[in-house]
Amino acid sequence: MSKPIKADKSILHELASHVQTAKNSTLGNIRENSLKELNSTRFPTPKDEDWRFLDLKPITRSEFHPVSEAGIKPVADAEQYFIPESENSRLVFVNGQYSESYSSVKGLSDKVIVGNLAEHIDHPAAGKFLNKLAVYENDPFTLFNGAFFEDGGFIYLPKNSRVKDPIQILNLYTDSEKPFFTVPRLLVVAEEGANATIIEDHIGTGDNKYMTVPVSEFKVHSKAHVHHVRTQRDSLKAIHVSRPATYIEKNGEYHSYTITLGGHLTRNEPMVVQEDEEVDFTLDGLVLIDGDQIADTHSILDHRFSHGESHQLHKVVVKGNAHSIFNGKIFVRRDAQKIDSFQENRNLLLSTNGLVNTKPQLEIFADDVLCSHGATIGQLDPEHVFYLQSRGMTEQKAKEVLTYAFALETIENIKVESVHQLLIDEVKRYTTTELTKEVVA
Amino acid sequence: MLEIKNLHVIVEEDGTEILKGVNLTVNKGEIHAIMGPNGSGKSTLAKVVAGHPEYEVTEGEILYNGEDILELDPDERAHLGVFLAFQYPVEVPGVTNKILLRESYNTIAESRGREELDPLEFDDYLAKKLELVDQGPEFLDRAVNTGFSGGEKKRNEIFQMAVLEPKLSLLDETDSGLDIDALRIVADGIKKLHGEDDAVVMITHYQRMLNYITPDYVHVMIGGKIVKSGDKDLALQLEEKGYEWLESYASVNGEGK
Ligand SMILES: Nc1ncnc2c1ncn2[C@@H]1O[C@H](COP(=O)(O)OP(=O)(O)OP(=O)(O)O)[C@@H](O)[C@H]1O
Ligand SMILES: [Mg+2]
Repeated sequence: MSKPIKADKSILHELASHVQTAKNSTLGNIRENSLKELNSTRFPTPKDEDWRFLDLKPITRSEFHPVSEAGIKPVADAEQYFIPESENSRLVFVNGQYSESYSSVKGLSDKVIVGNLAEHIDHPAAGKFLNKLAVYENDPFTLFNGAFFEDGGFIYLPKNSRVKDPIQILNLYTDSEKPFFTVPRLLVVAEEGANATIIEDHIGTGDNKYMTVPVSEFKVHSKAHVHHVRTQRDSLKAIHVSRPATYIEKNGEYHSYTITLGGHLTRNEPMVVQEDEEVDFTLDGLVLIDGDQIADTHSILDHRFSHGESHQLHKVVVKGNAHSIFNGKIFVRRDAQKIDSFQENRNLLLSTNGLVNTKPQLEIFADDVLCSHGATIGQLDPEHVFYLQSRGMTEQKAKEVLTYAFALETIENIKVESVHQLLIDEVKRYTTTELTKEVVA
Repeated sequence: MLEIKNLHVIVEEDGTEILKGVNLTVNKGEIHAIMGPNGSGKSTLAKVVAGHPEYEVTEGEILYNGEDILELDPDERAHLGVFLAFQYPVEVPGVTNKILLRESYNTIAESRGREELDPLEFDDYLAKKLELVDQGPEFLDRAVNTGFSGGEKKRNEIFQMAVLEPKLSLLDETDSGLDIDALRIVADGIKKLHGEDDAVVMITHYQRMLNYITPDYVHVMIGGKIVKSGDKDLALQLEEKGYEWLESYASVNGEGK
């Protein structure tokens, strides 16, 4: 770990002057500590190994204002983003602020808590886990979120509770006069044997510029099963820097599917930590980018105990001038034997100006493990295109069908019907539209 | 229906000449068989007629119903009724047979000015065509050729032919890899599909296919040329004597192997 440096003030440090004192002491402590640490944590540069390929200028060369000073326009037609399966299990946040009127949680059993974090800040589970799981070293973004957040999603699943309907955490970002920043927060605590599906959406309703820095923390206790679908459909000018961290105990399962469609610059750093034996987790991703979009996924799968099974399929399609970065760290600690870990990053590069950087990074210190990993960057196979063309499809149609088929694999496991259908439509829309002309096979 | 005149073809990438002056005329209602040793250019000929972008025609022409089709894309040729059953059908993971066929059927129907079928009508239509190749409906939901056995792939090609109802079918070694029963089923299917308005060109190495489907003409291709043509008896002669006696025909012209 490098020594904290008192570095040049970055935009994050400057914005930190807007932090206000918290009314609540738990929150106050988090705020104070985050601020203190932020001031001694420097902003990343391309010289840092983990930030080598990412152009941070969209963040550093911009101005962002607190939501209250950005000239926010009212949210238009929020209902269109509600998923029907979550009619009575939905939390809505507009630019990071809890919206009671859009939220509805009346369909849940009384012991299950789905609500605004600000109202549950004194819940023992919040005291125990809030801000304790998203531990990202030398990371100003997590600290930035820690210094500002107040509202957020809080989901508490008591022992053996089974939430039948998926829980939707809907983050809407509205149009505004000036670019704003916001820090969504989510804490999910699944007690022993609990079972739930969580749909976390990030949706830009306008085409404006904003920066969202979501941090989410998942604690999956023994025998609990959590499915987590994360869709990101930010505005094409938005900055999205997210930190989803998950900790899994014995016999726990966590399966997550992250779909990245929007945003000008996206940096996602999912981290899954195995805290005991016999866990099973998935960290799949689908990235569809075009135009001048940049999507960077830096993931960590940390196997700390024996008998773990992990699966990571990260699929990317790049069109236009878009740029994808993938760095998949897999740690297998010394005493973690019998680990079965699968990682694959497949990139489909559909334009000559697109760019893909990919780097699997296995750090294995145990000897009895099965780790398969692979990364491919390819174009559509001309034999496939010819085959479909010989059956009457135009070249364009054949390419669309093949791209669609490539992307589909990653969303097949999403069991919430409306979300599954929505993503199919999004994939179709992506394959049939072009932000920039020019496609090569 | 198909007239190939003095066709010379090179591999676009490296310029190697593969077809060295092929002449072939196929009329409506006819069945032709093309035989010949490995590597003689049979598949190349079929792929060039279907419009494979890997090859470049340097000389000669391909007329389809009297019109030059060399400038047409593969899909435009398919719309005109050209169909190629691949020697090595391509696996297309993620695209089911049904998606492929619905898409193909509808675009071809549209280009011929026929009505598209609605999903229910299309299901009925497919069910009938499945019978022809003796396959169950589960065949439709499998990804195109993905994980199919060699024989299943060949059946799938004929199934696609049955659905698309082409005018000119180029069947490249459709008989290879089929077991005895499958060969009979597939051959019966081809016979049923063939009528007086369409033509079939079968590329094959074996007489056994021709026992089921009697060709009107048999051609022998050696070294990128058709060196001999005859009737069904030529195939029997080949079965008996091999190709060696014909190699002289190829080299007489100075271009054979
Ligand atoms: N794309 C290509 N690039 C390089 N060589 C090629 C290409 N296509 C065909 N050839 C060569 O051209 C020759 C003819 O190939 P083709 O596949 O047409 O033979 P064939 O008569 O179908 O043989 P078989 O009976 O084995 O199927 C072979 O020597 C082959 O290697
Ligand atoms: Mg061949």
